[in-house]
Amino acid sequence: MNELLFTLALALPLGLLLACFAPAVRRWMPRLLWLAPLPALLLALLPDAPAAWVVGNAHFSLHFALDMPGRILLGVAALLWTLAGLYAQGWLRLEKHGGGFVVTWLMSLTGLIGVFLAADLISFYFLLAVLSFGASGMVLQGRGSDALRAGSIYLGLALLAEAFLLAAFVLLAAATPNASLLIADAAAALPQAAQRELILALLLLGFGMKAGLVPLHFWMPLAYAAAPIPAAAVLSGAVVKASVLGLLRFLPASFAAPDFGLPLATLGLFAAFYGVAIGITQRHPKHILAYSSVSQMGFILAMIGMGLASDAAGVALAVAFYAAHHVLVKGALFLAVGVVAHSGRKHLTAIFLPAVIIALGLGGLALSGGALAKYLAKDLMGEGLAGTLAMLTSVTSSLLMLHLLHRLWLEQHQQRETHAPCGLIWPWLGMALAAVLIPWALYLTLPLGTLQQALALKSLWDGLWPVLLGGLLFLALLRAPGALPVIAPGDVIAVLRPLGQVNAALGKFGVALDNYSRRWLVATLSLVALAIAFVSLLANMVG
Amino acid sequence: MTSPSSAWLLVLAVLLPFVGMAFGLLFGGRHIQRVALTTLALGLGVIGAIALNMLGNAQGMEYLLGGFAPPLGIALRADGLSLVMLLVVAVVITLVSLYARADFPAANSGQETRAALIFWLMLLAIWGSLNLVFLSGDLFTLYVALELLTFAGVPLVALDGRGATLRAALRYLLFALLGSLLYLLGAVLLYGAYGTLDMRMLAAVVRAEPLTWAALALMTVGLLAKTALFPLHIWLPPAHAGAPAAASALLSALVVKGSWFLVLRLWLDVMPQVVTLSAAQLLAALGAAAIIVGNLVALRQQRLKLLIAYSTVAQLGYLFLMFPLIFGLALAGQDSSSALSGGMVQTVSHALAKAAMFLAAGLIYLTLGHDRIGDLRGVAQALPMTVLAFALAGASLIGLPPSGGFTAKWLLLSAALDSAQWWWALVMLLGGLMTSVYVFIIVVRSLTPAEAGWTPQKNVPQYQQIAVLCLALASFLLGLLTLLPPELALDWVQIGREPLLLLRGQTP
Repeated sequence: MNELLFTLALALPLGLLLACFAPAVRRWMPRLLWLAPLPALLLALLPDAPAAWVVGNAHFSLHFALDMPGRILLGVAALLWTLAGLYAQGWLRLEKHGGGFVVTWLMSLTGLIGVFLAADLISFYFLLAVLSFGASGMVLQGRGSDALRAGSIYLGLALLAEAFLLAAFVLLAAATPNASLLIADAAAALPQAAQRELILALLLLGFGMKAGLVPLHFWMPLAYAAAPIPAAAVLSGAVVKASVLGLLRFLPASFAAPDFGLPLATLGLFAAFYGVAIGITQRHPKHILAYSSVSQMGFILAMIGMGLASDAAGVALAVAFYAAHHVLVKGALFLAVGVVAHSGRKHLTAIFLPAVIIALGLGGLALSGGALAKYLAKDLMGEGLAGTLAMLTSVTSSLLMLHLLHRLWLEQHQQRETHAPCGLIWPWLGMALAAVLIPWALYLTLPLGTLQQALALKSLWDGLWPVLLGGLLFLALLRAPGALPVIAPGDVIAVLRPLGQVNAALGKFGVALDNYSRRWLVATLSLVALAIAFVSLLANMVG
Repeated sequence: MTSPSSAWLLVLAVLLPFVGMAFGLLFGGRHIQRVALTTLALGLGVIGAIALNMLGNAQGMEYLLGGFAPPLGIALRADGLSLVMLLVVAVVITLVSLYARADFPAANSGQETRAALIFWLMLLAIWGSLNLVFLSGDLFTLYVALELLTFAGVPLVALDGRGATLRAALRYLLFALLGSLLYLLGAVLLYGAYGTLDMRMLAAVVRAEPLTWAALALMTVGLLAKTALFPLHIWLPPAHAGAPAAASALLSALVVKGSWFLVLRLWLDVMPQVVTLSAAQLLAALGAAAIIVGNLVALRQQRLKLLIAYSTVAQLGYLFLMFPLIFGLALAGQDSSSALSGGMVQTVSHALAKAAMFLAAGLIYLTLGHDRIGDLRGVAQALPMTVLAFALAGASLIGLPPSGGFTAKWLLLSAALDSAQWWWALVMLLGGLMTSVYVFIIVVRSLTPAEAGWTPQKNVPQYQQIAVLCLALASFLLGLLTLLPPELALDWVQIGREPLLLLRGQTP
């Protein structure tokens, strides 16, 4: 049964993707999008021991397996993808789109499920590339030059990151005994690898770029704002978690590397505050949500950094739980942006209230899934400076979420009577409900803690004061409009502009060199010069 | 090494295309297409039989012409390197021929079309001479084969008879002749010193001395000129961009590989004891320069065919990166087979992908009436399969899994890091990134919808699109060969080859 589900989890989205070659099927595909992630969802829910699935022969084979962090993230991502698929069906009816949307959607889904299941270096790298191409394709589905720019930047950074990862993987494969290509074996061999520092640096650089770690976060606001709303939901919720899972799998739990862990934690915490600082200057909900992702991903990377700095156990689960909560909330909030934009004042309350609850969950509001995530993160971040800063991120996240809710409210449809189509409303409400319930279900069934711990007075208070403090800050901000500078989405990307000139100069140089070397005289002289060079280099062996 | 019972297949592989040519001349333009396609079908059978024979026995083949052993006679020899090249050339030529049926149709109503006749004759000539390059066992026969290859390539460049293409063809001819001259000079030096041109006998007696260095240097440089390795690529861009699509595909995917193959033979099989690591580094340095400059210039092209031609300039560079990796590993006493396999996979994958790209560019040109990169709107509407093929071929050039380009990159990267030559790894990664930029630009531009009411200039037949897609798919799925059952997944490249052992106590 498990074996079949493994096959189906990958084969169904892939099959639907290939079926898109037929134009007739492609037109029908929006109705089937929600089906594609269901086998993966079932696979994550099945209580059996983690299964494995192998394709190939003894000489070379591809391995797929599911560990606990992978199971958690696969489950919530598949759920998001199912509901967002339903939402996309309604959304595609509102906005006319070519077949490109479903193709890139299914390609990303195939890549994502594949990355979550991949257990060897080759399939991981391959499916990560599929994911990157599909995801940048989804960004390109937004219209206009913004989407083209955002999509190019997204793909460019993704490919650059994958070049670092490829180098890391080749080095890891060389360091792994018995020519094994399994990720688990490679991770186990990492602490003893001769080029440990280089491999770690490449891994952190590659995955960090893909996770949007400051200062390489600028693609996030561009891409999420340009992508169609259902695509932005899965990109910000699920796709970006591939790198989190990658880091969890490649960094062994029992391995302490404070030289890398502490800088990563510092940078991550800095990003957690930086994302909020830029986020509160933004006006469009999609940009605010993207900067919230910068902040949240920074926090997740800080957790991974703290885990890497020590050899503490349980890091992977805490990180996976926090990331899973972010998958649900961020995916849901992006869906809300589309629903609110199509809803007038009359129907807004029922739609808006869930958004308030789950948004404040990101700030760790008591009794929300966010409170549980923050509670689990607390042990990891420790009591010292990192712990204090982690507490403060709850305050700043609450501030940013209140800012988001304010701007979201202003996005409502101008006509009071308008209401969004059911095809958008129900997936959104379902997602909101999931964002509240699933963290609790995970917390109690895994189990990560007890009900008493979660409901202790201290925990409740920890989930209240940051939100209240964030509220006060928000009110202060409202009082002082114009106190904040205007910052274009993508903030630091302005710094990269000179790179364009360097590129143009390099291109000119290349063309000039090419023209010069293709003159007859130069080419003939090159022939002679090269012959002389070869003779002298061959003669070297005696001398 | 020998398996005499079926070794005559080697002779057949070389002779059959030339016999086809003779028949083609006899029957003329009206039947040339039929003759060529029949010859191809027969030839495919021969190559298939050779492959089965070699894979089945896991050893090479040798045939002595007239039964005379070298140095008196001439030997045809097939090892893993020859096998891989024979196969990829057969596949590419077949698919290009299927594509070219529409572009170079048989003459009707008794009137010969000169272009069609020449195209099919030269296609067969290229095939025959390439097979001879891969099988020939001595340096003089190789010289003849190389000359045949050049003389078959030149008319293909000038097929449409325009002034610009004639100039390009002439440029190609002159520079290639210069290359031949240098090669011949080197061969003469060797014959004078050692009294034989048979590669195996030469390998046994060749010594590291000034005369050998001069011979090797002259031959290498001559071959590089014919391969168009930067900075000796003077003739390649105009020739490959000006020829008709099917001809460009043959020239770019296959013809340049002939002289490259000879460099490999010379360095690896004839003179491994003479080659130094620093000389191999120079080869790779030229390759690296080709990758960087070729990609930079490709990015600034306005026309699709020129862009693809410069992409060939860049991709040829990859084929020379393997030399220092092989010798670096061998000098360190390590197994160098992974570097050689990586280079061969790169060659195969590039041959398939580049043929697909040029053919795709041909279809795009027919559909739009131009190939300006700035205005590729509507291509995906009119030619969905072709755009997919272009993207897949591009993915192979970039080196994304599961393409052959990825397998090659993985093997070469491992070899570079194993032999502590990380700088070649950097070049490979950088080249992949640069390639992805122009592939991305072209694919995105062709996905842009055309203006309402736009219709293609010409509707291209479906089978042409399918032929292009087959080439691209072959390149893109090449990496999956590693998933074959173990009895077939042995290292084809190493069949009939000895591991490279360098008999010197010298350190790199």
